[in-house]
Amino acid sequence: MTATLHRRDPRFGWMLLFSILIHLTCYLILVKYQLYSFQHAEGPVYYVDVVSLPVANPQAGSPSQPGGAPTPAKREEMALPARSPQQPIAKPKTPQREKSPSSAETSRQFEERLAKIEQQVGAKREAAAIEALRAKVAGRGGEAQLGVPGGKGTEAGSDYAGYIRSRLTDAFRTTIAFQTKSPEVMVRLTIDRSGKVAGIRLERSTGDRIFEDAVLNAIAKAEQTFVPPPGGKRFEYSYRFAPEGVSKK
Amino acid sequence: MKRIFPIFMILLLCATAQAQQSFLDVTAPGNRQLQLAITTAKNLSGQQSPETEKVICDVLQFDMTLAGPFSVRTVPGKGDGGGIRPGEFDLAPWKSAGVDLLVKSGYSLSGGSITLECRLYDVMKKKELTAKRYTGNIRDLRKIVHTFADEIMRGVTGEKGPFTGKVAYVSKRGGNKEIYLMDYDGHNAQQLTRNGSINLNPEFSPDGRELVYTSYKRGNPDLFRRELFSGTEAAISARRGLNITGAFAPDGKKIALAQSREGSSNIYLIDKSGRQMARLTSSSAIDVSPAWSPDGSRIAFVSDRMGKPQVFIMNADGSNVRRLTANGAYNVGPRWSPKGDRIVYCRQEGNGFQIYGIDPDGSNDTRLTSDGSNEHPRWSPDGRFITFSSKRGGKEGIFVMRADGSGQTRVSQGSSEDSHPTWSTRW
Repeated sequence: MTATLHRRDPRFGWMLLFSILIHLTCYLILVKYQLYSFQHAEGPVYYVDVVSLPVANPQAGSPSQPGGAPTPAKREEMALPARSPQQPIAKPKTPQREKSPSSAETSRQFEERLAKIEQQVGAKREAAAIEALRAKVAGRGGEAQLGVPGGKGTEAGSDYAGYIRSRLTDAFRTTIAFQTKSPEVMVRLTIDRSGKVAGIRLERSTGDRIFEDAVLNAIAKAEQTFVPPPGGKRFEYSYRFAPEGVSKK
Repeated sequence: MKRIFPIFMILLLCATAQAQQSFLDVTAPGNRQLQLAITTAKNLSGQQSPETEKVICDVLQFDMTLAGPFSVRTVPGKGDGGGIRPGEFDLAPWKSAGVDLLVKSGYSLSGGSITLECRLYDVMKKKELTAKRYTGNIRDLRKIVHTFADEIMRGVTGEKGPFTGKVAYVSKRGGNKEIYLMDYDGHNAQQLTRNGSINLNPEFSPDGRELVYTSYKRGNPDLFRRELFSGTEAAISARRGLNITGAFAPDGKKIALAQSREGSSNIYLIDKSGRQMARLTSSSAIDVSPAWSPDGSRIAFVSDRMGKPQVFIMNADGSNVRRLTANGAYNVGPRWSPKGDRIVYCRQEGNGFQIYGIDPDGSNDTRLTSDGSNEHPRWSPDGRFITFSSKRGGKEGIFVMRADGSGQTRVSQGSSEDSHPTWSTRW
């Protein structure tokens, strides 16, 4: 007796469906556990702190204004003159001198140049008036808040992890102390929506108590400079503290 | 499905591994010293004694300065309310003065006894770290203050200090080489042996209650064991020839020493009563100076089996002998650190010796001393410090330094020649 084995060739449709399912599963896992953003956080982060002000929320579209409601972005505009455009501009009085043929020609040129200036000024006034009207027509006038509604302008920018690291580094410079050769501490920092430290979890430590205290002191000191996380959400991230230039064997 | 599951698991593991590495580094240069302020001891009741206040302040300042992590300053302590207990004074002025840690103390004298109350505050956290009250004879004031210094180290680093330990050493102050005992900082020296002979190489038992040393008082270098509190002693190895460089095992029950039986000196194991237990080396060379690892599994020793004295390591049963020191032509006197991560030894350089530290695997061979000739390094019980003898500045004296070689300070007092120090555990 002989038996013939028939191998079924997988059809393209089934393979495609299988592939889609696998990709979809992986994508859902990454999205669910918020692992998608880690590849961005791994890269070097450069934070430029010019005036020690919070980074403006890009969604709000307006820089922060401490102590009051945010104002719209300032536009480059020309100051309006105090007088109305209908009023004639006073012409400069020329001294009464004895006129020569050449001086009469100079006077005509001067009048032509003055007329050109008057035209330019008039055109600019018209443009400014049109711009003001456009803003008024938009319905909010000079008090309008630009950007996405809900943005307060006091939240940090999208690279909040880098911003926090910058603040921690500044504080850590003043608190660093250790007694062992290569101390290292990894903490998981939780910051609530108001920008306060809601939790510090010591994830890993080489056991140098003085260094651990220095890290905690740095966090306490840096907390005073934190601004709320973007989007009004809690923020959680891990930071590894170590002395500069010291590496593990 | 059976094929999908492994793929799914691999993908999940990869994602998890990526997630675990997600962190940002926060680094800073330098190593700041903690600002430690010690206030003058306050008289809580009874007679005021400026001498007592000075002793308290001086002992704390010496201990904390030697410790390393602190920048110590002594201050009158007035202007903050003056009390020593929480709520009796204000920490704010200390914080604004940049102080990290604050020590407050108060004493009461009554006849010949003293009650000392000491408190350590973390100024940054506005928290009391430790508070102790001691009562004792005024003669033991230094020991009491050393005890609180140990507590400060525990409060700040999590591990007690070694400042209440004693140092046994050899001194020629009476003309002969006798064994003496002193506080680690050189105070309260007392003579242990008075045999008018040569006594060498004292070594404490792990509990600090016994001492083994080599004495020539019978004409031969024999090994003696002495109980410190009763003062009784007995010869535990008195074979003809050498009975030298005895060292207690970490369990306190065995002693490794060098004996010369068949011409050459080898490492042997005996129990506390002197009963022979094992022979650990059997070379025709000179093997001396055994030093136990803290877990008792290995022994470092000196051997000239390769021509010149070098430091070797073997298992506690004598097997697996390997050379430790690769640099220098003459390396002797190894001692294993209490944490097991370092071994100190002496290397001959020029006309003298220098102390080196090396990892047990032979790496990180580092010179720790450079001034004068320095020998006999011995660890403090916590492994933070090393005591040694040095001929710098003339006569040989006892010094202490931190494990990294910093903070070298002479502690032996007087003009006598002192050497062979060894640091006991806390009493």
